[in-house]
Amino acid sequence: MLGKGNELYFMQRILLVLSTCMSILVLSGCWDRMEVNDLAIVTGAAIDKSGDNQINLSLQLFIPKTLASGGGQAGGSGGGKMTITASQTGKNIADALSKFQGKLPREIFWGQCKVFIFGEELAKQGIQEQMDFLLRHSEPRGRAYVFVSKGKAKTILENVPNLERYSAEVLREIINFRIGMQITLQDVDEMLTGIAQAAALPYIKIDKEQQSEGKPIKYVHIDGAAVFNKDQMVGTITEAETRGVLWLRDEIKGYTISTEIEDGKGFVSLNPVSARVHLFPQIQDNKWKMTVDVDTEGTIVQNETNINFEDPKLLEKVERAYQKSIENRIKDTLKKIQHEMHTDIVGFSKEFYRKYPKEWKAVENHWDERFPEVDVTINVIAHIRREGYINKPGALPEEEVKEK
Amino acid sequence: MIRNINKLLKKEKDKKPTTSINLENKRAKEALSGNFDQDIETFRSIYQNCSDVVFRSFFAFGQRKAMLIYIEGLSDVEGIENFVLIPFMGDPTNSESLNDYLEYKMPVSKVIKINIVADCIESISNGNPLLLCEEEVNAYSLGLAKREQRSLEEPVAEGGIRGSREGFTESIGIGTSLLRRIIKSPALKMHSMTIGDYSKTNVVLAYIEGIADNTLIEEITNRLKRIKIDGILESGYIEEMIEDNPYSPFPQIMTTERPDIACSNLLEGRAVILIEGTPFCLIAPITFFSLLQSHEDYYQRFMIGSIIRWLRYLFLGISLLLPSLYVAVLTFHQEMVPAQLLLSMAASREAVPFPAIVEAMLMEIAFEALREAGVRLPKQIGSAVSIVGALVIGQAAVQAGLVSAPMVIIVAITGISSFMIPRYIAGIAIRMLRFPIMLLAATLGLLGVMIGIIAIAIHMCTLRSFGEPYLSPLAPLKRNELKDVLWRSPLWMMDTRPHLTGESNEYRQTQGQRPSPKKGGETK
Repeated sequence: MLGKGNELYFMQRILLVLSTCMSILVLSGCWDRMEVNDLAIVTGAAIDKSGDNQINLSLQLFIPKTLASGGGQAGGSGGGKMTITASQTGKNIADALSKFQGKLPREIFWGQCKVFIFGEELAKQGIQEQMDFLLRHSEPRGRAYVFVSKGKAKTILENVPNLERYSAEVLREIINFRIGMQITLQDVDEMLTGIAQAAALPYIKIDKEQQSEGKPIKYVHIDGAAVFNKDQMVGTITEAETRGVLWLRDEIKGYTISTEIEDGKGFVSLNPVSARVHLFPQIQDNKWKMTVDVDTEGTIVQNETNINFEDPKLLEKVERAYQKSIENRIKDTLKKIQHEMHTDIVGFSKEFYRKYPKEWKAVENHWDERFPEVDVTINVIAHIRREGYINKPGALPEEEVKEK
Repeated sequence: MIRNINKLLKKEKDKKPTTSINLENKRAKEALSGNFDQDIETFRSIYQNCSDVVFRSFFAFGQRKAMLIYIEGLSDVEGIENFVLIPFMGDPTNSESLNDYLEYKMPVSKVIKINIVADCIESISNGNPLLLCEEEVNAYSLGLAKREQRSLEEPVAEGGIRGSREGFTESIGIGTSLLRRIIKSPALKMHSMTIGDYSKTNVVLAYIEGIADNTLIEEITNRLKRIKIDGILESGYIEEMIEDNPYSPFPQIMTTERPDIACSNLLEGRAVILIEGTPFCLIAPITFFSLLQSHEDYYQRFMIGSIIRWLRYLFLGISLLLPSLYVAVLTFHQEMVPAQLLLSMAASREAVPFPAIVEAMLMEIAFEALREAGVRLPKQIGSAVSIVGALVIGQAAVQAGLVSAPMVIIVAITGISSFMIPRYIAGIAIRMLRFPIMLLAATLGLLGVMIGIIAIAIHMCTLRSFGEPYLSPLAPLKRNELKDVLWRSPLWMMDTRPHLTGESNEYRQTQGQRPSPKKGGETK
C-alpha cells in the first residue's frame, strides 16, 4: 500500500517520465518526416545515354492536382495528363538528380517507382554504374521492373496510353502477364553478380496502330528480350525465343502454342495449365551434357482441324505434335543463345556449378567458350487434360468430322 | 519547482482532515434511555431543522403516550394510518399489553425492536417509521418504507436483441430481488453495508458461497470498509476508491445494469456490488477480455458469437490504431501503400493546408466533441447536433479544403469502431489512448506506433483486478480458459469456470453434454 509520501513520489516520477518523453519527441523526432504534399512521386524512370559519358535521366512525375476531386474544380477526371515527364543530363544518376532537385519544388520520392527503363545505347555501353545507384539508394524498390527500350527510353515514358493512366502503369501491368521476361532490380543484380554473369531484360518498343481515321495510335509493346553479357547488352532475341528462354528458366506461364497436325489441315492451339522444367547436368568423358525435362499439361483453346478429340488415339496424336512444338521452340532458342550469342541466360552454369563444383572451377573463366559446346537433350512430356466445352470441332457438319 | 509544489501539497496533507463529527455521531452508540420524554427530546435535537421529519404523537390504547417518527415521502402514509394509528387510537378500552400487540398482532410485515440511537436513525432515514412508547424501553422500527421509484425498464446503455429486457433501477431492493429472481439458491449471499458519512448509502455485496473465493470476498469487504467519504452518488465513487491501480486508463471493475450479466458473473465466482441510487452495479474481479464480451455472445449460436467476437477484436485494433497508421504511412512510409492508393491520397491531400497529424487531430477532437455533446444535450437538440456535425465535418470541411476526404473516412470508421466495444468505459479508454499514439506516429512513424503498442501492452500486463492478472488467460497463459477468449465455445463444452483467485469450484456442469439424437434418457 502506498503511503502519502510514496504517492507524491509516484506523481513526481510520472511527471518526470512524461516530460522526458515529451522532450524526446520534440528534440529528435520528425527528422525524416515528409508530408505527401511535399513529395514529387516518381512513377517511372528512364535512363539514356547522352553525349560523351553523360546520361540523361527522365522522370515521370505524378501531378496530384489532376486527380484532386471535390473542392472547387469538379469533374477534373479525363482531362489533362496525370503525369509529366522531365529529364536532366548529368554525369550519372546522382548528378542528374541533384540538378533535378534544383528545379523541382518538391522532393523526389522513388518509393513508388516500379518501372526503370534503360535506353538501348546506354545498355550497350553498360548499366553497372547506374545500377549501383538504384541498388544503393534506400528508396527505389528492389521489386521494381527493369526494361530495355529500343531507341530512347524517354519516348516510352512520354507515350500517353489509352487504357491506363500513365505509361509506367502500362508496363507494370503488361509485365504481370508474364508473356515475356519479368525481371526486377533485384533479379538484375542477382543475374549479373551470379555465376553466369548474364542477364535478359524485357525489350520494349513503341509501335503504331493505324486507325481508319485520324492519327495512328502509339502503344508500348514488349518485343522479346535484350540479352546482356556482363553488364553490356549484346543483342536481342525475338518474342518466340524469349518463350524458349522462359521454358528453360521454368518461368513459363501464359502463352499459346499453335501446332500443326500432320494429316488434319490447320492448327490446334493450346494453353499450358501447368509446366515444370528440370535441368539435369552431366559430365561424361569431359563432354558436358544437359538434359532438359519438361513436364507440362495443356488445354485446347482452338481447333482448326476436323479432328474429334473424343478418340484417345487422335488426342494422342495431338499430344505428340504439342510435345514436338515445345521441343522445337526450346531447340531454336538454344541454337540462338548457344551458338550466336554465347551467353548463358538460362542458368546452365548454375546447375553445373551445383553438381560439379570442381569441374566448374576449370571452365569458370572461359564459360563463354564451353557453353556453346554443351550437348542438350530435351525430353518433353506433354498431356492434354482439357478440351474445353466441346469435344467435336465446333460448327462443323457431322459428316466432315474425322472419327478415326 | 516540482519540489516546491510538493512541499505545498505536503503542508496541505499534514493538516488533520476535519472529521465529520456531528450531533448524531456523538450519540450514535448510545442506547435509548427508556425515558419517553428524554428520548423524544434526543430525537428532536437530532432532527432539529429537518422540516421533512414528521413527529406524530398520539395515545396508544387510550392511556399511554406514543410517538411516531418518520420522514415525509419515504414512508407509506396510508399504511401508517391503517395499521398503526387506527388500531392504536380506535379502541381506547383495549387493555392488552403493548409489547404483545407490537410483536404478535400488528398487521405490519416487518417489525424490528431496536434500542440503539444510531439504529433508530438508520431506520428512519431508510423510510421505516420509528415507534416510541411510554413505559417501553425499546423502539420499534416498522417496515412501512415506501418511496417513489422508477419501474423496471429496459437498460438504456446495454441493449440487445435477445435476452432479458429488465434492468436494474436506482432502488437497491429491486436490485437484490432481480438477482434473487435469477439465482434462487440460498447459496447466493448478500452482505449489506452503508458507506458515506452523510449519504449513508446502502451497498450490497453479492456472491455465491462455494463458487466465489472466500479470500476474494474478504478483500472486497475490506476495501469497501476502508472507504471513508462523505457521500456515494454513483457506482463510480466506489469503483475509484477500491480499484487496484488508480493510475490507469483501463477500467479494472466492470459496470452493468443488466441482472443477467451480473448473474453470469456471479456464477463464474465473481462478486457483484449493488449500490443504492444508481442502476449500475459493479463486478469484480475482471480481465480485459471480459470487457470485450457481450451478453449476446452467449445467447446466440456459438459460431455467430465467435465471429462477432473476432469482429470486435478487429475493430478494437482499428479504433486504437487506424488514425495513427494513416498518419504514419502518410508522413513516413509513403512507399508502403499501393501506388494507386497513394496517388489518390496525395491528390485528395493536395489542397489541405495542414500536415497529416494536425488534420487527424482536428478531426478526431471534433468527433470526440460531437460525441460528448450528443451525450449531454437534451434529446430535442440532439438531432440538430448530429445534422450540424455530419454536415460540417463530413462535407463542408472537405469542400472547404480544410481536411481531405480519406481523413473523414478514417475518422468515421474509427468513431464507429470504438462503439463496437460492449463496455462503454473500455471503449472510452481505447479512444483516449488513440491520441498519444497518434502523436507518436507523427513523430516516429510506425516505430512510434509500435512503441505505443508495446507501452500499452506492458502497462496492461502489470494491471491486476483484485489479484486477477488483467490479461489473463493470455498472460499468464491458461490454456483451459482460452475457450472463452479466442472464440466462444459451445456451452456444452464450457465445463469449467474460469479460475480467478485462490480456490475455486472448478466444474460448472457435467461433462460430455453434447446434444445428439442418439443420446436417449437422462445423462448420468
